[in-house]
Amino acid sequence: MSEQQEISLSILKKRWLKFKTLKRGYYSFIIIISLYVLSWFLPVLINNRALVVSYEGELYFPVFSGYYAGSTFDQDVPGEAVYRQLDAKWEAEDSDNWLLLPPYPYSPYEDITVTGNKMFDAPSRTHWLGTDNTGRDVFARLCYAFNISISFALILSSLNYLIGILIGGSMGYFGGKFDLFFQRVIEIWSSLPMLFVIIIISSIIRPSFFLLIFIYTIVNWIGMTYLMRAEFYREKSKDYVAAALSMGQTNFKVMFKHILPNAMVPIITFFPFAVVGGITALVSLDYLGFGMPPPTPSWGQMLDVGLSNIPKWWMVFAPVSAQFVTLIMVVFIGEAVREAFDPKVYSRLR
Amino acid sequence: MSNNKLVDVKNLSVHFPVHGGVFSKRVATVKAVDGISFSIGKKQIVGMVGESGCGKTTVGRAMINILRHVSPDVEIGGSIEYHFDDEIVDFAKLSSGEMRKYRSRVQMIFQDPYASLNPRMTVAQIISEPLQLHTKMNAQEQRERVGWLLDKVGLQPEQARRFPHEFSGGQRQRIGIARALATNPDLIICDEPVSALDVSIQAQVINLMMDLQEEFNVSYLFIAHDLSVVEHISDKIAVMYLGDMAEFGNAHDVYHHPRHPYSKALLSAVPLPDPSRKNRDRIVLKGDVPTPLNKPSGCAFRTRCPVAEPSCAESKPVFEQQVKDHFVACPIVKGA
Repeated sequence: MSEQQEISLSILKKRWLKFKTLKRGYYSFIIIISLYVLSWFLPVLINNRALVVSYEGELYFPVFSGYYAGSTFDQDVPGEAVYRQLDAKWEAEDSDNWLLLPPYPYSPYEDITVTGNKMFDAPSRTHWLGTDNTGRDVFARLCYAFNISISFALILSSLNYLIGILIGGSMGYFGGKFDLFFQRVIEIWSSLPMLFVIIIISSIIRPSFFLLIFIYTIVNWIGMTYLMRAEFYREKSKDYVAAALSMGQTNFKVMFKHILPNAMVPIITFFPFAVVGGITALVSLDYLGFGMPPPTPSWGQMLDVGLSNIPKWWMVFAPVSAQFVTLIMVVFIGEAVREAFDPKVYSRLR
Repeated sequence: MSNNKLVDVKNLSVHFPVHGGVFSKRVATVKAVDGISFSIGKKQIVGMVGESGCGKTTVGRAMINILRHVSPDVEIGGSIEYHFDDEIVDFAKLSSGEMRKYRSRVQMIFQDPYASLNPRMTVAQIISEPLQLHTKMNAQEQRERVGWLLDKVGLQPEQARRFPHEFSGGQRQRIGIARALATNPDLIICDEPVSALDVSIQAQVINLMMDLQEEFNVSYLFIAHDLSVVEHISDKIAVMYLGDMAEFGNAHDVYHHPRHPYSKALLSAVPLPDPSRKNRDRIVLKGDVPTPLNKPSGCAFRTRCPVAEPSCAESKPVFEQQVKDHFVACPIVKGA
């Protein structure tokens, strides 16, 4: 039985196996995916709040339950407790109280207002990539920004694809007046100067993560419609679609069960490049100051601050190398996907 | 006779408008099918022959009402009356929503076995799709039915989990036949089902189709351009020329005693595996088939007809019964 299954692989499975043989792309894929999954656990890995505090026989979980004033643990600091100092103090006193800090005990938001933080600290064993102009830890900000960048790019690309597939697919499938109408809409829409539109909107409304995604989606869904329209237009005249229709399948099912799986090649091969586009879009908006509201950690904002303090090399080096490594790995994935989907290899199946 | 009819096509016409210019005005009409009439009896095989581009395939697609999906502005005239056991339905008048419940009654086998099976679906998924749509079978019953159908068309039930690209052309066409038979249809439209196959495979597939026709009590509209194949399997033969019906009658009559000059020319071109008869009278037609965009006036065939008369240009010849059950659209040969 297993032998039977081995012969009868779907095209997608064959392409996945081919993708796995392209080591550069495959390892980049593994690394990016694991880093992204890991980045969702950042609050317990990189955080100034302790994971567990045992104080006078009671347990506290500041990472999960949030703010505790310094006075809760009999610490003489204004505002929130500083857990690093608390740890050092209890250690020195050899007291029964104890706490467990995350592996990297700095948060991307704590600046010089917290005692002990200095501006422009050079990279050291405590601050791996130094601190920035407000005393925030660069490494912590870099990691949080990675999560935000990738999430932004993934959500943006998926939304663009969803709208692009729905509208482009319907244009190609139904044709006629519907197609004509949307072609004109797209022509008008694509002639708007989009960067200005975004800058104007961001200067009126204070942008947030989802507002930025919304604005970018409104602008960027067009790209996918061209590809999907062409794919659906080509596929709908094939006999397997006629066969599905002649057995009474609904238009919706024909579009998404029959045609879409056969139109997946441009969707999948362009996806990594769409993600690259999404990451760079957010970086450039943040760099220009129209992106995420401060103090959200973001590569563009870090780059902006770093360039105005260029002698502090770590502040430029960190975001630039992070971007470089991330983008090049996503491009490697894209290249490998493209090669795995090369129709020449399985020309009989096309 | 009339109560034995399954489909009665009357004066069917399929016109595709051609748009052009700045305002997409209608500039011309492709008259792919221009008023044809014929009928198919229950458990009957009707062969339909004609040159490429004469509208055979369009007739087939009009009969299952799927033309509108590819060209939404197509104009369909006349009637395609199906006499099912319980009701009489005119497919030419139904919307695609109303059509849905009759879809299981009429199925189609396509010309290109490589394009007609979705490459992303396994054979089991392909054949069980009509079962999901038209029956209330559960997954287990569907699997059994698929295995049974595969067995009927000469494939192994274990092959159900494979993908179409793992089969040869002849095997793929068998899968197409199994899919068409899945819902026990009354009529199967076979659109040149063997023309994409090797000659040796053609014979196998045709014999299979004939066996299945008897077993499933189904009618075929067998569209082909190979006359000897059509004569071999058909009860009746319809000859088409440029969107018009030239001749329609019992297979033996049309094949051995053709009346229409086009049918005569067509039949004289059938290759005979007999060297002693190589000097038989071949009627060689001059010129090319006119374009359906701008058909000749009167009889469409008059520009190439060996027996044409000036009167042929005046009016379209009447398609009438000249001998018993033998319809011909040529007044010149009437009474001959």
